[in-house]
This record gives sequence, structure tokens and C-alpha cells, in this order.
Amino acid sequence: MSQTDIWTEKFRPSKFEEVVGQHEIIKRIKSLVQAMNIPHFLFAGPAGTGKSTLALIVVKDLYGPTWKENYLELNASDERGIDVIRQKVKDFARTKAIKNVPFKVIFLDEADALTKEAQQALRRTMENYSNTCRFILSCNYSSKIIDPIQSRCVSFRFKILEKKDISEIIKRVSEKEGLKISQDAYESIYEASGGDCRKAINLLQATASIAIDINSEMISMIAASTKPTGIKVILDYALAGDFINARDKLLDVMLKESIAGTDMIKAIQKEIWNLQIEPELKVKLTEKTGEAEFRMIEGSDEFVQLQALLASFVLAGQGKTL
Amino acid sequence: MYRNLAEKYRATKYEELYGQDKAIDELKKFLKEFPKRKGIILYGPAGTGKTSLAIAAAKENNLEILELNASDLRNRLKLEQIVKPATEQRSLFKTSKIILMDEADGITGTDIGGIPELVRLIGTTKYPIIMTCNDVWQSKLSPLRAKCKLVEMKALSTLSILELLKKISEKEGINKNISFLSQIVLKSQGDVRAAINDLQSYAYDHNILVDPSEKRDIEENIFNILKKLFKERSPFLDLFDNTKLSLDEIFLWIEENIPREYKNEALAKAYYALGQADVFRGRIYRDQSWRFLIYQNIFQTAGISYAKKTPSQGFTRYENPKRILKIWLHNQKTEKKKTIAKKYARLVHCSLKRVMRDFDLLRPILKQPGVQTQLKLSEEEMDFLTK
Repeated sequence: MSQTDIWTEKFRPSKFEEVVGQHEIIKRIKSLVQAMNIPHFLFAGPAGTGKSTLALIVVKDLYGPTWKENYLELNASDERGIDVIRQKVKDFARTKAIKNVPFKVIFLDEADALTKEAQQALRRTMENYSNTCRFILSCNYSSKIIDPIQSRCVSFRFKILEKKDISEIIKRVSEKEGLKISQDAYESIYEASGGDCRKAINLLQATASIAIDINSEMISMIAASTKPTGIKVILDYALAGDFINARDKLLDVMLKESIAGTDMIKAIQKEIWNLQIEPELKVKLTEKTGEAEFRMIEGSDEFVQLQALLASFVLAGQGKTL
Repeated sequence: MYRNLAEKYRATKYEELYGQDKAIDELKKFLKEFPKRKGIILYGPAGTGKTSLAIAAAKENNLEILELNASDLRNRLKLEQIVKPATEQRSLFKTSKIILMDEADGITGTDIGGIPELVRLIGTTKYPIIMTCNDVWQSKLSPLRAKCKLVEMKALSTLSILELLKKISEKEGINKNISFLSQIVLKSQGDVRAAINDLQSYAYDHNILVDPSEKRDIEENIFNILKKLFKERSPFLDLFDNTKLSLDEIFLWIEENIPREYKNEALAKAYYALGQADVFRGRIYRDQSWRFLIYQNIFQTAGISYAKKTPSQGFTRYENPKRILKIWLHNQKTEKKKTIAKKYARLVHCSLKRVMRDFDLLRPILKQPGVQTQLKLSEEEMDFLTK
């Protein structure tokens, strides 16, 4: 294996035995792979629970050192449309796999990012190439995958990693990297990662770039510094009557964290009920928020509508409504 | 018998063209020296006689004229089919001809390949090509500029226009005194066609007086518009008519400056009105229903002005709209972020979106030399990370 300094890659398991957690899933997949006749797979579960890793292990186990020639990885949320996917699949499926394995493997990550129509097209593609290709689809929610695809796949539900699993992984990594980790740091890493293994390892490596002696405070500091600016800051400016600052902050956050207006408005809607204002005003602001969201969907300028909404918050800050 | 006077009195001879002696000389020289240079561009404001000069040149030299203007589609194919043969063959009865490409700046995006084809034609033509346009310095015309002789036609002096109007009113039997004619001339700001049109419209009405303050095409600068909007509440519906700024540009200026003028309730009301204007703007864009423009306009003017009971007082420092610039700058900045994220995403079997979202957490990792080598980051990308 090639050397890398990116820990999420360096410590990614390459054998079934090395995987932490997901025991049931691994047992079943391993037996299917060893029988050499795998069906299509559907891996459902939150980010950082081992879906991509398991797909990689499957192909490494099937093809050995030639796995790269027989494996195509696509990301549905990055590929521009189903046509791109279809073309790539076609090109890939044209050549045959190695002798003892009669098919190649295509891993389609974040398949739930595809629209229903695109999924219908994907279903056709899966059928057309079923002789030469096996698909492994991954998604966060299997409910977003259309039934005909689900019925063609064997589904596995990946569970979020538990604290002991994350701690086990962190321990392995830090032993190999010569880090000293305090007991409460394990706790903090798990808290900040929310059971997302990729995030946990990235957080560990980011912290380790400062010191090899790692404690809870350092983890919390790094985690906090990379936490997205809350919507609350923006609304607080507006409620305090500082419209210009609220507006600047709004644009900054939207640009910096690449948040679309419609997502921003959802966040505002959630935040309204945490604000320190009269419930009556909250209802009124919710109405305004709903109207703004509706207008955006109808094709209005996101930022203009958000500004109009912020202006309503300025007024609400004085206990008034329009 | 009601005929457009401006067409009726269009100059057809050099001597009928007022105040353009220099341009006439240049064009004469160009035609005499042809084919030393094969194309000439006459440029200048509306109504200065560009088209008339070209037509006059044809008449004076007894040449046939082939004219294409903005109302014709002038894409590559059309030019190739119609103009190209004309540049090669002799015309039927007359010995020679002129090709007139009127309003060359009107060759738009829909005229695909129009400008490059025109440039090619100028290279091969056997006959002089005359082009006219208002603004010769726009970038899409730069390949033409390089190939052509440029002749400017200046706005006419008031005296020349007055002289012309006098002559026309005599011929038409319009009895108007000099002071009345002068008012029309002042209002025209050097546009002969506008002056003649005005003369015609006032010709048979003895009582009407030209209001000298009602000036044509005055470019109100945006600060004045904002001042009128926020402080003077002057006539609304035509507030934006006298500016070259588009309604969208004005929209951005208003959007930026509302909080500098209004607070609290007025602020909320003004943004409410702007939001409404935006809704109608969205409908115009979506369905091409230009009927809604009037609603956008009213919300964007009266809606903003009357957000406050009494007009604002005093001086306000209006600022340039920052939003578009900010977005642009941001995109420039994140350009590198994106290319780095792409390289990284491919390596770690992860979506670009996710990497972009987690970028701050990944930054210290991406700064490590080993990682940078593995990702084959360019120098600019490395710089971006250390910034």
C-alpha cells in the first residue's frame, strides 16, 4: 500500500478483520464475497460509519492487487447528472473483469442525492449492465431510494459508531503515531465527532499538528474554531437593531460555508423559538419566514428576501411587527 | 401626406450634411484610396448623420448600396449567404457599390459568429464596407477596430441644428419664431433626428411651449436618483427613465443604501417594498411577463419613498452596492479552495461537498508537506492554505 500522511486514508481498514463495529454486516458481507457471487448492495447509514471503507474492502478481497482496474467510484452529489454517470458506467463496463471474477464493481456514493427521475434512469443502467457490473450504492437514508432499486439490492443498515468504537479507533491511531492522549480527550473527541469516524480522525490529526500531548481542552478548542458560525449571531445583531452588521454577517456566513438561501431560511426558522422575545412575535416572525421561503422557491432573489426578513427581526427587537 | 420629416429631410448629398465637414473629408479620402483600407467605421451619438453620410456617399459617387441594419439577423450564416456574394460579384447595372453595415454594435449574442465573419469579409471584399455604431470602444468590436479606419461624428452644434430647423420650417410652412426653435435645439442635445421629430410634433400646435427643463436623455447620476427617492419624493414613475443604469443596477443601489437612510419601522417597510419589487422581478424573469414591470417599478420607487412618513433630511453618504463584488471576490478566493478540495476528495473517497464543508478542520492536515506532495498541490494552492 502506498504511503500517505492523511490519517483517514492511512488507517482505513483494508481487511474485514480490521473494521471496528458493524459486526453483523461484516459477517454477512464476508460470506457473500467469499462465495464469489455478490448481488447489488445498498449501504445505508450516517456519514463516517464505514460504507466506503467496506466497499473498498469488498473489491480488494475480490480482485487482490488489480482492484483498481476493476473498481469505479462515483459520487452522485458531485457528478452533474445521470447522463454523466451513465457515460462513465458505459465506458467502464465495456471491458471485461479479470478471469476468475466475472464482473466489475461500481460504487455510487451518496445515491440519495439523485432525483427520482435520475434513479429511474439508474435502475435501467443497473439492468443493462447486470452481466458485467455489480453496483454498491451508498446513502444516508434508504427511504430516499426508489423501491425498484431497493428491491434489486441487498440492503445493509450501518449504525452510528458507539463511544467504545471511536475510542478504540483513536487509541489505535495514536499508538501508531506516538501520541499521548488523556482519558477525557477520548470523551471530547467522541462528543465532537458525533460518532462520525472520519471526523474523529480528522479532528485528532488537526489537533496533533499542534502537539503530540493531547488533552480535552485542545480538542474542544479545535472543534470550536471550526464550528460554523451560528445563525444566532446574525439574528442577535438584527434584534439589537444593527441591521448593517447583521446583513454583512449573513452574507459572510452564506458564502464561507456555501449555504444556499433556502437552507439559511430553514436554520432561521428553527432558531426563532430559541430567541428571547415574546411568543406572539415568534409566531409573526415565523409567518414572515414562511413567506420568504415560499418566495425563494418561486424564484425571488434569496438575499433580497433574507434582508427583508432581517428587517422584520430588527422591528421585533423593539417588540413591534409590521 | 403625414410624412416623417426626419426621413423627408434626410441628407442625400454631402452639402446637406450639417456640421460634419471633417467626417465627410475622411470618408471621401477613404473611398478614393480604396482598397488601401477596406472598412471604415463611422461612430458617434444618435442623430449625428452616420447613416445619412454613408447614403450620401453612395449617391454622390453613383454607387449601389447594400444595407444591413440591426433589424436583420446578422449571424455568420446570414453574412456568408448575403453579404459575401455581394462583396465578390459586380452588381448588375452599376459599376460599383458600397456595403453598409448599419448599427454594427447591434450585432448581438444571437448573431452568432457575426463579428468574426464581418472581420473575414473585410479581408476579402472587393467593395468598401461602411459600418456605423454609437460606441466603437466596446470590447466586442475590437477585432473590427483593428481592421478599419475610424471616423468620429460629433454631436452637432446648436447653430447647425438651428439652421437646419429654420430651413425645414420655411419649406414646410411652419411659422415658428427663433426662440421657439432654439428651445427645441437645446432640448435635442445635438441629436438632429430628435430635433426634427420635436419640430414636427409641435409644428401644428401654436400654444404648446417647450419646457427647457424637460431635457432629453439626461443622465441622472445614481446619487441624485437616490436623493430624489429618499428625500425629495419627486415624480415616481419616470424617476428611472433618465438614466443609463438598468433597473437591476438601481435595485442593487437601493438595496445597499436603505439602512443608511432608514431605521426601524421605515427600514422594515422599505425592505418589504423591495421584497415585493423583487417578487415581481422574479415573475418577469420567469414568465417574461413584462407587464409586471410597472409593479416592480412602483414598489421600487414609491414603496421605498413612503416607507417613512416624512422624508429623510440632511446629507447621506450613499455607498456602492457591495454584494455582487463580495460574491465575486469570494468566488475568486474559493477557486483555489475548490481545486484543493477536489484533489483531496478523490483521494479519500469522499464527496466534494463534504470536503468543502469540513475544510476548516482539514486545513491543518492539508498544510502538512507530505500531504501536499501526495495531493500534488500547485504553488498557488499551497499559498492559499497558508494565508
